Amino acid sequence: MNLSRRAFLVFYRNLVSYKRFVVSTFFASLIQPLFYLVTFGIGMGAYMGQFGGKTYLSFLVPGVLISSVMMSSTFESLYGAFVKMIHERLYDSLIATPVSAEDAVTGDILWGAFRGLISGGLMMAVAFFMGVFPVSAFAGLLLTVLMVLIGIMFGSMGMIVTSYAPNFDFFNYYTELVITPMLFFSGVFFPLDNFPGWMKTLAQFLPLTHAVEISRAVYAGVYPKGLLLHLAFILGLTAVAFWFGVMRMKKRLIK
Amino acid sequence: MRTIIQATGLTKKFGDLTAVAGISFEIEEGECFGFLGPNGAGKTTTVRMIHCVSPITSGSILVNGLPAGVDNRKIKAMTGVIPQEITLDNDLTVVENLMVFSKFFDIPRREAKKRVDELIAFVELEVKRNNKISDLSTGMKRRLLVARALLNKPAIIIADEPTTGLDPQARHLIWQRLRLLKNQGTTLILTTQYMEEAQQLCDRIVVMYEGKILKAGIPSRLIEDEIGREVVEIRIAEDQDARLLADLGPFACGHERAGDTLFFYCRDGHGIQKKLVELDLPNTVHRPATLEDVFLKLTGRSLIE
Repeated sequence: MNLSRRAFLVFYRNLVSYKRFVVSTFFASLIQPLFYLVTFGIGMGAYMGQFGGKTYLSFLVPGVLISSVMMSSTFESLYGAFVKMIHERLYDSLIATPVSAEDAVTGDILWGAFRGLISGGLMMAVAFFMGVFPVSAFAGLLLTVLMVLIGIMFGSMGMIVTSYAPNFDFFNYYTELVITPMLFFSGVFFPLDNFPGWMKTLAQFLPLTHAVEISRAVYAGVYPKGLLLHLAFILGLTAVAFWFGVMRMKKRLIK
Repeated sequence: MRTIIQATGLTKKFGDLTAVAGISFEIEEGECFGFLGPNGAGKTTTVRMIHCVSPITSGSILVNGLPAGVDNRKIKAMTGVIPQEITLDNDLTVVENLMVFSKFFDIPRREAKKRVDELIAFVELEVKRNNKISDLSTGMKRRLLVARALLNKPAIIIADEPTTGLDPQARHLIWQRLRLLKNQGTTLILTTQYMEEAQQLCDRIVVMYEGKILKAGIPSRLIEDEIGREVVEIRIAEDQDARLLADLGPFACGHERAGDTLFFYCRDGHGIQKKLVELDLPNTVHRPATLEDVFLKLTGRSLIE
């Protein structure tokens, strides 16, 4: 893998272009998770009373936060990267400079993680005003690191999908068959405890499950030993997805 | 003259398709070298291998002594590419496009600012400097692509069909700029389907067809060798060929029938001109031979798809 510091220059290019869209994307990345918090958290939460010793909203926030990171970074490396690759031919002009294909794709994965971080950060701020916040400033810092990691993971997974995509419609398979189901089977909206055994097992293969577990623990400031397994899963998958995503995209870009 | 690019047995395969079939060529420093050929002849694939965005299947290219495929970053740092398609950054303004690109070449910010101003003047885009790309005409976009290719003060410029889709004014402006760069000592590599473009710019050309080099040489000499100096085109039914060949054949060095036209190629047009006046044929054109005649003779006059 021919990766260099120039990946950050590609990130910088995205930052320069982003300033024109910053307001609209803030709005877009805030609106859906905000709906979840208001409808589920406040609307439904009112009927639920206490939820494992805390309010339903405080159960919900760490999961919704991570899923908004997932959505933002996924969409950036699906639609964002596809437009750059096919419609704008931007990757072609990048790789004609000393920027390598690996640099270009990595820069965009990092960019997706950054967009995820913005979405997650906005959620964190909204939740803060709704009375749900991490147990300490340190926990907040850990959450930031977690969001970047989760963003890189889903961004890399998205790049793998993009590397195979013949057109935009292809992305529906991924979003409808992978991302959306994951949202409902990873313990974001309710605990997995009442699922039958096989579904619980299945959930253990979903990266979002592990990310949500870590997020919830960090929010509460309790760190059981089992957390390391979740972290190991995330780190392992991130490494594999990153390598595979970059190399697959490289194969598509350099023909 | 020093050889700046040397290709040996260069081959590129996409699966079963052979796009470039073991070609060899040398490009001298400071010359303008043209790749001519119809669509799918392998021109673009060849130049893409030179500037390291397409891996070589077999054979080799040395760029300034560096092997392509190994020292890619170094080769790309000394090369400027004017791509066939408009690959500008649509989200950025004219100035931003150049400033962001200068970063990819590690040009310090202050130096970059100066160079960007110079280049915007060079391609006459001052009035549009803060406009977005969508505000530019095709000609302006192509000029900006030229400016972008010059940011790193390249020793080698690769222009892949740089004037496709341009009106004559815009085309001539790009040609002037490319000639200016060549006069400053830059090596130019051009691919084109426009024979006039090749005749205007190139010191030497190769004609490619189906991945192979059919002919190589200096444009004027190629015309002379392959065609002669003059061409007579007669639009006439095929059944007249035998009669015309008997009349005009002795004055020509070659002839060809293509569709509704009979072509005669001549070294010296005087004799045939006299005979033509005598015969008083309608629908006859007598003109100097061009590179286009060479091209069509070598690659065939039928459609290539």
